[in-house]
Amino acid sequence: MSWPRVIAARLRGLFPHRELEQALDDEIRFHLEMQIEDNLKAGMNPADARSAARCSFGAIEPMKEEYRERWGFALVEMIAQDLRYAMRTLRKSPGFTSTSIVVLALAIGSNTAMFSVLNAVLFRPLPYRSPDQLAMLWTEQPNQDVREGRSAYWNIEQWRHQSNSFADIAVFDGVSLTLTSAEGAEQISVARVSPNFFPLLGVQPFAGRSYSTDEAEKRQRLALISYRFWQNRFGGSRDAIGASLELDGLPSRVIGILPADFHFSGQAVDIWEPHTMFPDWEVRRQVRGTDSWFVVGRLRPNITFEQAQAEMSAIARRLDDQLPVSERNLGIKVVPLSLQVTGPRARLALWMLSGAVFCVLLIAATNVASLSLARSASREKEIAIRAALGASRFRIMRQLLAESLALAVTSGLLGLFVASAGIRFVLAFKPGNLTRLNDIGLDPRVLGLALALCLLTGILVGLAPAITMTRRNLRPSGQEGGRSIAGGVATRGIRRALVVSEFALAIVLLVSAGLLIRSLLSIESIDPGFRPERVLSMQISSPAFKTAAQLADFYNRVLEQIEALPGVVSAGIIGDFFVGGSPDQVATTEADGRIISERVRVRRDEVSGGFFKTVGTPLLTGRFFSAADGPNSPRVAIINDALARRLWPGRDPIGRRVNLGRDSDRLWFTVVGVVRDMRRQGLENEPIPQLFEPVAQSPSRHINLLVRTSAHDPSKMAAAIQAAVHRVEKHVPVYSVATLEARLAAFLTERRFQTSLLIGFAVVALLMAAIGIYGLIQYSIATRTHEIGIRMAIGAQAGEIFRMIIGEGLRLSLTGLVLGIAGALWLGRAGASLLFGISPADPLTFLTVSVLLTVVAMAACYFPARRAMKVHPAVALRQE
Amino acid sequence: MGGGHTDKADVLQGTLVLLVLRTLEALGPLHGYGIARRIEQISREVLQLNQGTLYPALLRMEQEGWITSKWGASEKNRRARFYSITAAGRKRLAKETADWKRMSSTIERFLLFDPGNLAEERG
Repeated sequence: MSWPRVIAARLRGLFPHRELEQALDDEIRFHLEMQIEDNLKAGMNPADARSAARCSFGAIEPMKEEYRERWGFALVEMIAQDLRYAMRTLRKSPGFTSTSIVVLALAIGSNTAMFSVLNAVLFRPLPYRSPDQLAMLWTEQPNQDVREGRSAYWNIEQWRHQSNSFADIAVFDGVSLTLTSAEGAEQISVARVSPNFFPLLGVQPFAGRSYSTDEAEKRQRLALISYRFWQNRFGGSRDAIGASLELDGLPSRVIGILPADFHFSGQAVDIWEPHTMFPDWEVRRQVRGTDSWFVVGRLRPNITFEQAQAEMSAIARRLDDQLPVSERNLGIKVVPLSLQVTGPRARLALWMLSGAVFCVLLIAATNVASLSLARSASREKEIAIRAALGASRFRIMRQLLAESLALAVTSGLLGLFVASAGIRFVLAFKPGNLTRLNDIGLDPRVLGLALALCLLTGILVGLAPAITMTRRNLRPSGQEGGRSIAGGVATRGIRRALVVSEFALAIVLLVSAGLLIRSLLSIESIDPGFRPERVLSMQISSPAFKTAAQLADFYNRVLEQIEALPGVVSAGIIGDFFVGGSPDQVATTEADGRIISERVRVRRDEVSGGFFKTVGTPLLTGRFFSAADGPNSPRVAIINDALARRLWPGRDPIGRRVNLGRDSDRLWFTVVGVVRDMRRQGLENEPIPQLFEPVAQSPSRHINLLVRTSAHDPSKMAAAIQAAVHRVEKHVPVYSVATLEARLAAFLTERRFQTSLLIGFAVVALLMAAIGIYGLIQYSIATRTHEIGIRMAIGAQAGEIFRMIIGEGLRLSLTGLVLGIAGALWLGRAGASLLFGISPADPLTFLTVSVLLTVVAMAACYFPARRAMKVHPAVALRQE
Repeated sequence: MGGGHTDKADVLQGTLVLLVLRTLEALGPLHGYGIARRIEQISREVLQLNQGTLYPALLRMEQEGWITSKWGASEKNRRARFYSITAAGRKRLAKETADWKRMSSTIERFLLFDPGNLAEERG
């Protein structure tokens, strides 16, 4: 009997089809018509013929009911019956059942949790209209190795006018502004976006309206606020619209509230205002080449990203002639927004973790399959009886599969608890740049996958026993009385293969975990170029009305106040200590009387005199800034080693002059000192060229205050330092207080998270592999007690038996080892970009893992082997 | 399919399967009405079939894979559903036939059994 067809037919029956119903009606009508005709031929009158036909057919409705039931409930009934029986059998061996359920629940649960992360971060479409038409556009500088640089407004306007691929292109840029209200001043995150930004994304304000092109062009001070800001500030009152906000000392009118679920880019932005709000807007709109704008575009329908990229590259080539000489050779890069939101590395890491957790599921299923194979040996008789009583092979297989499915589904239900615990764990860890994690949850797609995993697990677990047992037991057999050596051998073959694959998978996981640990260690051993311990960091934003001189004076007094505090070693100021991307600038240098302009990626910051001392960065040559480097004295700069090597390779930079910025504002710095490179983009990134100028010569309103304390825990000093700032001036926002160590460590949060997850998976895999080999050896000895007894009776030494058992375990684990190493080497190449400072074929990792696994395998075999040694020949032979 | 209980309907159903399979094996593809007529004719109207019950039985047999059906034109060129026996059906028929024979011979022996013989043996 072809059972796929039976099942297909029954599955079809689950869904009441109108066609089936129609077919049945047709069939009944045909039957009655034929009967009536025959009756007529037999000489009845039409009325009698009709009623006789009806009579011989019997009642139609009950028959239809029976028919429907049969096509509908056949499958349900079959499953229910199989499940009832399966549950009964499983209850009979509680040890096996509970072990299997716990193992599988953990495995299915962690897979479900992992998938819900994947689902939230990668699969769910972005919350905008037709999100697959959205792209980010970047200025590319191939000779600077800048792939995703920000753009200048003039260029963006050209793209918008010349491109046919994009229906529209919008710009945005972020700033941090001081919001002043009755409660005091605070720093908020503001996005400045062109008026077409919201229509382009297809986002409507939740209440109120957005601003028009005309209003933006006239630079009207209008603002849209986020839903969160509306709730926090206005308590969700409709009065918010029309209200006035004081931003950097100037009033803005609230005209709209954005929807609660709206977010763009990772940061939580509170206020959205026209892109023309920059004080230097008239200058910025003229800038050609590169600037600080982000660009988002919407493709026209039926245009692919490739077509858009080709067109934009052509436009970039056309525009090149119209750019200043130093700004030439720019490209345009089109990146689908969905790829931009979760970058390639985060994607790779997610896939790697998903693969790892899936391996754990495979190992768990393998282990349970192995357990149930062992159990199947004791069920041979039961199965043989069922076969003898007329159960078909299919029926028995179905029964065994029903058992493993019942096991898997129960585990899956428990696994949902594991999954929701796992999701809470992931959220508590808040892995850095997985921006879309807030959407995480057990939605229908996740539940669907969990169900699929249950079915897969059930089949994986049940298939091996189902095949071996039915193959064996359907032979007409009476001789399968007490023990079956032939059967044991067949089962052992499959179990061996299972143990080998468990070991191979465990190796792959252990090697991956080992490589990530080594990467983390090699990152952590990097010298950042500064000493972050005992340093406290905080942000200060000064009021907008201060002049440069007032600002410089304010900072001086703040530093004095803080350095006078007991427990403070020194204090320093820098624009911002840690940097994200750095826009590159044109650097002009003098060399041998000639002036050379070139593009250099350089980070420019203002620092106070005591800054380098505070963070512990040594001077390599020259001097630090002093009080003499005031606003009226010549402009001086300290550069880092990287910039010195870049601008004046092999020469002494002290006393040389450099100019940063565009031709319009010529402003020469004289280099007075060179300091060590600092890794200000996190430990993983090479230090970028940096230039520092005295804060007195160019003070900015938002600064990062760093305080070196003598206390072990600098955060205890936070309140005192804050009070010191407020003694100089009340109502100055002091925020983002954190130790420098914590800020530096934050760069590694995600890597730590990935590494610890993978270690967890690898440990589970190792344990399961150990249990697997232990169980197999144990079982193998149990079935071979007789053989061992004979061997010992004819003179084998206990040592030989021991070696035989250990040898069996070793052969299996070594086979797994070889396969696993091959797999790990192959996978390592794919994941190489997740590693740091080591090769994916790192010999130390491979060696350590191999030794570890061999030791574990030996240990798992040791105890059963010891027991085998003690087998007494007489006892073994009597067992017959 | 149920476990222990056997009631009248099951027995009747079992017989019906045998009759249908045998009919289809002997005559080739037939529509439902044809099968019903045939069973009544062969059994010389002794087996009065409640014709309607034939259809759920046919569905079940099709689900078990013993017969297949397809729509075609009847002798008077009307659309009808024709059933035919499959290989699995032939096997099933062989088994049912054997079962039936064993069953009927057992019953026959039972009916021919003379309690008098037993008394003789005892004495």
